[in-house]
Amino acid sequence: MKQYHNHSFPLLWIALLLVGSFSGLAQEDEVEVLPSESEYKEPVSKVWFNTYGNIRISKRLFWDAQTHFRFEETGSTPFIGQIAQIYNRHAIGYIYSKKFNVTLGGVVRVNFNTDPTSPDRNVVPEWRIWHQYQFAMPLATTMIYHRIRIEHRWTQGFADNSEYIFRNRWRYMFRMKVPLNSHKFQPKTIYVSPEAELIMQSGKAVVASPMEDLRLTTTLGYIVTPRLTFAAGLMYSQGQQLENGGIYKQSWTMRFHMYFSPDFRRVKNKLPEIHLDD
Amino acid sequence: MNRLKKACAVCTPLLALILGLPTMVQAQDRLLYQGPFEIDRYKGEAKYYYLKVGQDSLLDGSFQLQRSNLEALLEKEDAAFSITGAFNRDIPEGPWRFQFGEFQSESVSQVVDYQYRVSVSGTQQVAEGRMSDGRPDGPWKYAVRRIKDSEIDTTLFESTIEFEGGIPQRSFRIGNDKSTLVGRLLRNGLAHDEWSLFVNDEMGTVESWVFENGILRTIQIEQEGISTTTPVFDTAYAMMQTIPLDQRYLQLLSLYLTKGNTLAPIQGTMSQLLTENARYYNKIDTIFSKLGKASFSPGFKVQVPLFPLDSLEKIQLEAIKRNFGKSKTVSSDFLNDTQLNILRRSDKEAQFLYLVIQALSRDFLNPMEKVVSYGKSNLLEYVPRNVLTEKLWPLGKPGTDIKVNQGSEPTDSPVIFKLPNAAQFDFNGGNLASIQELSRYAAQSLDSIQRILDLKLSRERGQQELAGLEEQLITQSNILKERIDSAGIQLPGAHTKALLNIKKVGESGLSDYSGLKEVTAKLERARMLVKCLTDLNGLAEAIIVLQGQEKKIQETYQDRIWNPFTATLMDEEVKKRITTAYRNILTPYFLERVQTDLTCENARDIASLMGSTYERMLALRQEETSKLERKLRKERDPETVLRLFNLPSATKE
Repeated sequence: MKQYHNHSFPLLWIALLLVGSFSGLAQEDEVEVLPSESEYKEPVSKVWFNTYGNIRISKRLFWDAQTHFRFEETGSTPFIGQIAQIYNRHAIGYIYSKKFNVTLGGVVRVNFNTDPTSPDRNVVPEWRIWHQYQFAMPLATTMIYHRIRIEHRWTQGFADNSEYIFRNRWRYMFRMKVPLNSHKFQPKTIYVSPEAELIMQSGKAVVASPMEDLRLTTTLGYIVTPRLTFAAGLMYSQGQQLENGGIYKQSWTMRFHMYFSPDFRRVKNKLPEIHLDD
Repeated sequence: MNRLKKACAVCTPLLALILGLPTMVQAQDRLLYQGPFEIDRYKGEAKYYYLKVGQDSLLDGSFQLQRSNLEALLEKEDAAFSITGAFNRDIPEGPWRFQFGEFQSESVSQVVDYQYRVSVSGTQQVAEGRMSDGRPDGPWKYAVRRIKDSEIDTTLFESTIEFEGGIPQRSFRIGNDKSTLVGRLLRNGLAHDEWSLFVNDEMGTVESWVFENGILRTIQIEQEGISTTTPVFDTAYAMMQTIPLDQRYLQLLSLYLTKGNTLAPIQGTMSQLLTENARYYNKIDTIFSKLGKASFSPGFKVQVPLFPLDSLEKIQLEAIKRNFGKSKTVSSDFLNDTQLNILRRSDKEAQFLYLVIQALSRDFLNPMEKVVSYGKSNLLEYVPRNVLTEKLWPLGKPGTDIKVNQGSEPTDSPVIFKLPNAAQFDFNGGNLASIQELSRYAAQSLDSIQRILDLKLSRERGQQELAGLEEQLITQSNILKERIDSAGIQLPGAHTKALLNIKKVGESGLSDYSGLKEVTAKLERARMLVKCLTDLNGLAEAIIVLQGQEKKIQETYQDRIWNPFTATLMDEEVKKRITTAYRNILTPYFLERVQTDLTCENARDIASLMGSTYERMLALRQEETSKLERKLRKERDPETVLRLFNLPSATKE
């Protein structure tokens, strides 16, 4: 009975939702009907405010603290929309060398129900364990980065008692940073950073939608000091909808970033090691 | 039998010990050395015995040191020597023989039996005799011979003296290839009776000194058949003293024998022979005293009259020494002064004074120099003072009027130099007091001459110095202009303005100077200006290098910081408050001061402050400065900033 209830209740209202719009939550036991041609949904607009903290705790270890505020348009507030996710990403990073570092940590994402008509819960948490391998390669005055990020993700719907589903995310990002007004990265440098990230996913729930997202971004950044950088950019993304691989979501996202990397270590500990190994 | 055996067993080691002891001690202590050895100029192979007493080693037993080098001989020449003898605990004892030779080889060799023979030529010195308790004892013979083809050719010198415990006895004989001196001695070594000098190829005595108990009474000289006798110490003297017959005595004799012709023999053969002999004895003595404890001298003694210096005379002698020392310096300085030598050709007064100095030097200082020298060698107490003055000034002492002949013609009447207080001087009397007066007069005369000449020369030198200084001024001013003109183009405005003001200050200094007329004032100003221009040059340089220094400071205050977001190392300027204070407060302040407040006097201070500020900036990079940075936050006053930087404040006044 309980099981039935669990399954039947969301089914009912999702069916309603599907009729009203193309957005909605998928259900694994629902019969998927792939469309004969891929369908691209109308892009939605989002605004992200991201802070990236990178706090040195020893010569090679740092605390990676990121908090993102992600807004999404809704019917009532078209452009900036309303808060969709608050994103807390924390990890311990290890600087292996100037060219390679790894990070391991967890994420708690708070998902807000952006549908004002939904009778479901307004807020649900999402949990992730993630690890990342980043390679940095200098090329003339430019820097090139390859980032492999693997996330183990537990998500649930807004519906009461909805169960967690587990998925793995496989992310690869290619990014460049090109200084515009200087020959090297230094304070007062403006740089442009094109990036492309492909996010693939796998898991029981993923049947025909392995490509979760493809993000194409261009950012313009300004290095205030080695410890503080601001950047802003525009991102286009598209990806398969989980419950139907034939349907592609699209979005345009304005991203605003603050990068800060304070170093609270005492000067006498810091001085000899600050140069890492060059 | 058994008991006897037992007793023997006990006795034998004991007996051995008792009997063996002295030989053991001897065997233990007396050591043999065989190897290279050097004494004085003599370096060769030695073989000798010695005792080890504590840290010291005492020569004891036979001693031998020799050297001969066949290779050197065959090649060119060899200085061979051989010293043999014996010591008793460092004291020479027994027969000794010294042999020194300088030989050249003849190029012909000859084989006789089983030996190669090479004949040599050269000279050989041989000294032979006995030593007793470190003194010569018995006959000693010293001979110098010329060797030709390994045979004695001529005897160049030979002395034979009989000693007894170091004191020469009876008679001696000293001769060379031309003449021979034969003399007699008392048992205590005092010269006695007649000492005669024979010339080898002439008949009869040539010169003889007649001693009486060591007192030289007369000297007789026979020249071309005419005999002259000169009395020496012929009267009775109150006090006599025994002194060795050495150079000093011969010098003393020359003081006594004032009258013309007898002076010659003293410097002649007789004293020559004695001196030569003394030299050879001294050579042996040097070797002996370097090896051990000995005294080796001919030991001839004589008696001379003594006239001790009383306390007053001692004071007078000191005064003479003092005055002479001063006068000698002044006179020789002037006589060797190249400038005076040039000046006197054109300046009549300088010429006159130069001649006066010459006269003073000749008539006053040269005889006085002898007094000082006699004083030093303690001869004065053996000469009556009147004899001394007569000897030193045989034509009489000079007066207070110093006459010089200025003209080239001898008929020109002499010009007289005289001190205004000449009347206060009294040169009369054959005593040290009169010599002291002479020395005082010479010193005062030279003093007054010096005053006149110094003035003349300094004026002369001033003119020359001025010429040199002016040349220097022009050079320095050109350097300054050139430096500023070439640097000014590439510098920012404030820098250029400061440089232009430096140029202006330099130029106005020069134009002020050119308005001066009087030499002394000009000299003083020129000297000051040279310094000023040097300082201005330094300051200009400090401003020219300022930009480079700023750049260096900027580089110094960079820290490389890891930016994790770009994965790059970034240069970041650190301690910005300090660098900002330097850039925005101090540098403009320096430039402002140079533009508005520059003088010759403060140029150096500003330049050095700029220099030390730069040094301080470089040093502050490494120092803990958080407190300083806090204080600098709102500070705008350059003086305060300098103080915070621990630099001397610029405005000292």
